[in-house]
Amino acid sequence: MTFLEKQTNPLDPVHYRGNLQVDNLYTSGAAGDRFFKHLMENDTFLASECKECGTVFFPPRLYCEDCFVEIPEENWFEVPAAGTVRLFTRAKLNTYGEKLEEPKIIALIDIEDTDGAHLGVIKSDEPDKDFMGKKVEAVLRPKKDREGTIKDILYFQVL
Amino acid sequence: MNDVAVLGGGMTLFRRRLKETGKELSFQAAKMALEEAGIDNSDIDMVVMGSAPCAFDGIHMKGENLLDGAGAKDKPYVRVFNGGGTGVFAPIAGWWHVASGVADMVMVVCEEKMGGCYPHPQTAFQTIWDPILDRPLTPNLVWLFAMEMNRYMTKHNIKKEDIARVAVKNKKNAVGHPCAQLPDEKITVDDVLNSEMMAWPVNRLDISPPSDGASALIFCNEKKARQFTDDPVLVDGVGWNIASSMWTNRDLYFPQYVANAARMAYKMAGIRNPRKEIDFAEPYDPFTYKELHHMEGLLLCDKGEAPILTREGVTERDGDMPICPSGGLLGVGNPIAATMGQKICELYWQLAGKAGKRQIPGDPQVGVGQAWGDIMQMGTVMVLRR
Amino acid sequence: MTEEKIQGHPKYAPGTHVSSKDIREKKVTYTWWEVEAQYAYSVGPANSRFLKELKKGNIVARKCKPCGRVIVPPRMFCEHCYGPTDEWVYLQDTGQVETFSRSYLDPDANRIEDPILVGVVSIDGASPKHGFMHYFGEMDPEDLHIGMKVKAVWKPEEERTGSIRDIKYFKPLEGGDE
Repeated sequence: MTFLEKQTNPLDPVHYRGNLQVDNLYTSGAAGDRFFKHLMENDTFLASECKECGTVFFPPRLYCEDCFVEIPEENWFEVPAAGTVRLFTRAKLNTYGEKLEEPKIIALIDIEDTDGAHLGVIKSDEPDKDFMGKKVEAVLRPKKDREGTIKDILYFQVL
Repeated sequence: MNDVAVLGGGMTLFRRRLKETGKELSFQAAKMALEEAGIDNSDIDMVVMGSAPCAFDGIHMKGENLLDGAGAKDKPYVRVFNGGGTGVFAPIAGWWHVASGVADMVMVVCEEKMGGCYPHPQTAFQTIWDPILDRPLTPNLVWLFAMEMNRYMTKHNIKKEDIARVAVKNKKNAVGHPCAQLPDEKITVDDVLNSEMMAWPVNRLDISPPSDGASALIFCNEKKARQFTDDPVLVDGVGWNIASSMWTNRDLYFPQYVANAARMAYKMAGIRNPRKEIDFAEPYDPFTYKELHHMEGLLLCDKGEAPILTREGVTERDGDMPICPSGGLLGVGNPIAATMGQKICELYWQLAGKAGKRQIPGDPQVGVGQAWGDIMQMGTVMVLRR
Repeated sequence: MTEEKIQGHPKYAPGTHVSSKDIREKKVTYTWWEVEAQYAYSVGPANSRFLKELKKGNIVARKCKPCGRVIVPPRMFCEHCYGPTDEWVYLQDTGQVETFSRSYLDPDANRIEDPILVGVVSIDGASPKHGFMHYFGEMDPEDLHIGMKVKAVWKPEEERTGSIRDIKYFKPLEGGDE
């Protein structure tokens, strides 16, 4: 089947402009709220451990996705706000494809004493070096400025 | 085709905003369903997720976001979605996994978080319209349903007070529901008629609230279900149907697509006279008039007769044809897809005699649940039988 | 988690309610995000002609010869016959009200004092029940009724952009109601 009429005049309406604007407020969740409230008052992270399989979740979770059991609050504990770089990349362009003045080092960091990882930014005086396997620690916002979001972690620095 | 039994259901609290994430709500509802079924998540072969527009949660492709909370990690998994019809379509999809024989045990999880959508979930609804013909007029859904309600009322000469009775009945029915957002034992028809005018003829209490929540249901091959129960509740028929998207080219007074879906389900269930053979129903009631519209679409009465049956008390919990004994969306809340909790979990609990304070007297044997969605065009129907 | 044990199922109702006050007072942590996605929707040949004709002050439809329908808004295919539609038909800019509402809600569900009059108008010259959504004006809101004969009020030609809003609204057709 083909349409019997074609658009041949380029001055005829071709496009109609529109947008999609919705704002969202994401509650951190039962587990997330506990994690962020701890981070507002402390310089350490929290993790949660499933006692069935021994997995230590970071970020901490309310439940274990493997054993499908709830993780009670007594199985939560503090871990250092530090870890080891598992993967990293040097981004040279921003989201819009524009060149960044300085490359941005984005790393997946295995958080110490847990089975979880955090996607964070590394700041370094030597941005061109190899960060694989390097120990890094989180630099947090000053306590008075913390607001209970992931942005309270400013960046990671090499130890 | 395999016979399919229901083994258990679960649902979370329904509220305007819940602290838990969508994943966490999915986990809580799924956990409850597994507990009732007396099985572990490792017994589940496949998982179906039902969830409505991504813009509510604000997470694109939210099926992927929710899967670990739904117990679907490392399993065959699919998200299904057809707007408001999802609450009954997701269990239909769960049913065909088992009926086809590809799975013996399937969990269906439905989730919605609307409390985080600003300035209002209606803002997200604006983008469901045709962007060229409808959106420039900045419609919202209340306008749309007001227009449909007006057409229905005018066609059959229905009085607003007869429609308001639906809100009174459902909010009272919801009093026995632990998850209910807007139960109200004392509400009167005048309260509904005197509530704020939103878009004539729709008053505030004609509308169900936006909600956060999740629900879950477990389906099992009937032969396997005999290990768990001697008296299983079975899926007897399913149907779904959609009308043209060109809603300004059709008369809105009767939901023909619901009737088409109902006929499909009744044929599968061997039901020839739905008015006699069906004991109770959970039609979709996001607005008061929709319950009536859908009773007619489900062929439970003549066109225009539903308000009369409601006025005469036939649809009360102890009436001849109880309608929305759960409390419906008007009483329990409307987290779109998660209304599977009122529409299908409730059928199961009623037929299994497990509905507690909400139990329909008289040992019901056959119930029908229905949902409705997209732009006044999608009908989804499921019949359960004990 | 509240575990309100009651008789029957669901046996309890997990979940923690968070009020707007809890959010304002930051009793729970949250993240705020604003999505702004811009689109250029392709209008396609049917809408292109429809919009172009609106700019000239005309309402056009497509006729499907097999089923005889005169379809507005126009489409290049007939969803009944599932074949291409056949020809353009000029309609009148009058019609009748199929249904309507008086809305006290704006598009974001904010409350407003003066109601927006909105409804579906079936257009004279198209098949029965074929029309589109639009606004109503130049009338007492209480006079608006199903079956009312109405006529389009167009924007001045120089203000038209090729949009459904080139029609400002529909007003009562003089001598329309018998």
